[in-house]
Amino acid sequence: MRTILKAENLQKTYRVGSVDVHALRGVSLDVEEGDFLAIMGPSGCGKSTLLHLFGGLLTPTAGRIVIDDEDLTAATDAQRTDIRRRKIGFVFQRFNLFPTLSADGNLRLAERIHAGSNGAGNAERRREVLTLLQLEDKMHHKPLEMSGGEQQRVALARAVVTSPAIILADEPTGNLDTENSAIVLNMFQEMNYRFNQTIIMITHNPEAAAMCRRIIQMRDGQIVAPNVVVQI
Amino acid sequence: MFDSLVAANILQRPVRALVSVAGVALGVCLVMLFTGLARGMSNDLERRSSNMRAEILFTRPGSKELMTSTVNLSTRYVEELERIAGVEAAVPVIRYISQGSRGFGIEQVEGVEWAPYAAMNGMRLIEGRAPEGNNEVVIDETKARNNRVGVGGEIQIFGNRAYRVVGVYSPESGARIKMSLAAMQDALETPNKCSYVLVKCRDANEQRVIAERIDAALPGNKIQFTNELVLNIEKSIPYLGVFLRTLVGLAAVVSALVVMLAMYTTITERTREIGVLKALGASRGYIISVIEKEALLISFLGLVIGFAVSFIAGHLIHRTYGLVFEYGWSWALTAAAIGLGGGALGALYPAMRAAGLDPVSALSYE
Ligand SMILES: Nc1ncnc2c1ncn2[C@@H]1O[C@H](COP(=O)(O)OP(=O)(O)O)[C@@H](O)[C@H]1O
Ligand SMILES: [Mg+2]
Repeated sequence: MRTILKAENLQKTYRVGSVDVHALRGVSLDVEEGDFLAIMGPSGCGKSTLLHLFGGLLTPTAGRIVIDDEDLTAATDAQRTDIRRRKIGFVFQRFNLFPTLSADGNLRLAERIHAGSNGAGNAERRREVLTLLQLEDKMHHKPLEMSGGEQQRVALARAVVTSPAIILADEPTGNLDTENSAIVLNMFQEMNYRFNQTIIMITHNPEAAAMCRRIIQMRDGQIVAPNVVVQI
Repeated sequence: MFDSLVAANILQRPVRALVSVAGVALGVCLVMLFTGLARGMSNDLERRSSNMRAEILFTRPGSKELMTSTVNLSTRYVEELERIAGVEAAVPVIRYISQGSRGFGIEQVEGVEWAPYAAMNGMRLIEGRAPEGNNEVVIDETKARNNRVGVGGEIQIFGNRAYRVVGVYSPESGARIKMSLAAMQDALETPNKCSYVLVKCRDANEQRVIAERIDAALPGNKIQFTNELVLNIEKSIPYLGVFLRTLVGLAAVVSALVVMLAMYTTITERTREIGVLKALGASRGYIISVIEKEALLISFLGLVIGFAVSFIAGHLIHRTYGLVFEYGWSWALTAAAIGLGGGALGALYPAMRAAGLDPVSALSYE
């Protein structure tokens, strides 16, 4: 198996006034292609910070991140944005769809940004993804005309449609009820199986974590229990 | 080119979009109406002056061409001018500029002895007769048509004095309203005086020699060749050019500020969406272009509406007040450049700010 993400001794220190907040205190992690990884841990232990580092939204204070053979930590700001465009798909707790665009419009926007200057979107791929997520009849609906669960499925579709190397999801079921959580988690799993899509997902929910292939536990900016392999 | 996000964003806030569009339209209207008016009036004056057949204009020194109402030249010069060799005719004229009859714009009136003046300039009465009495005038065809007044009608000059229209003449030349020289002298209380004397030469090619003779015989006066007169309002009204350029600058500032404000509030409102764009991997350039496209679309709408309003307003003002608007391509292009350029420039600062936002804090923005 190929290592698609490699993090070495990541440290991140926020400076708040004159106080240093050590959000990450040396995190090392390898993620293989096709993995579905859950990150768990108490609030404030540095999970989101780690995910933002992986996505190139933040830069580490020290350490190295290599994604799909590209060194994120050696890249300039613009290069990091470019790596994110080509290799990363984000799913957020708050869905973060564009409210003025339909489900299909949100996917097309992601495709357009992903494609850069060259080429238009792939309507067939969009349809395939939306169908897999059981959204084909919601294609032309705006986010506010959909339930939370549907919105989060559109957000997942938006992340998947460009076939990123890794999907980074920060508590994707945090705003959903149990039933919708289960549906969305099933969809994540489906994407992982069907497309061999690598996914890293932060979650507070042990049942959600149980649907992943692997769980890591964090505390105080460190990984305390790496590699808990879930028995399926 | 304009993707759905841009159009959708504008539709999301229709009132704000409309206000911004109106701001740009206002700037465009300012430029179009003022430059159109200056050009229209200038061309109108030039057209009428070009029918002047006399080669030489004889005035007192200090008289300013055809744009003032000075009446300080003694009519006894007429006889002396006619005695000079090569002069075919000399015709005294009083030109008076008064406020327009509807209290807006300017209107010119001339006092001339009709027969010699008409003979010199090849004009004829197409209706009625020449002005004689103290309250009689003739008007040109354009005036008759615009004011819907004909022989037997009445017009007001010098504030509120009523004059009877006794004739309509063609072609247009000089002021559109003419009365007899005596009537004008009487009205202005300037007996035996005129503004200038038009001198027609027997041979137009001799005008320079004749001008020298006039200068020798009647020294100390001002002798101008009519074909050299600057009849362009833009040149004869001092600082009109400066005024127009200032106006254009202000219009640009208005457009830029309106669009800047609109885009600034837009990006503040959409901070989280900008964070999402960044999370999707949108580059600085992409984010700037999304915002610039929105601004350009607003500016373009403003431009179209501005042009439409200018034409309609110009037409209405012309019909109501008789002011002439002529829109030139170069000013229209300037107005377009100001609308679009101002909008693009105004949006640049908000766009750069948006592009520079920190993605993580933008994503957590409430
Ligand atoms: N922008 C920031 N500035 C200062 N401190 C921050 C910032 N972001 C996060 N932190 C701090 O870093 C620590 C880890 O935060 P975070 O990664 O959000 O944790 P988690 O997602 O596990 O709840 C917390 O103590 C948090 O207060
Ligand atoms: Mg978090």
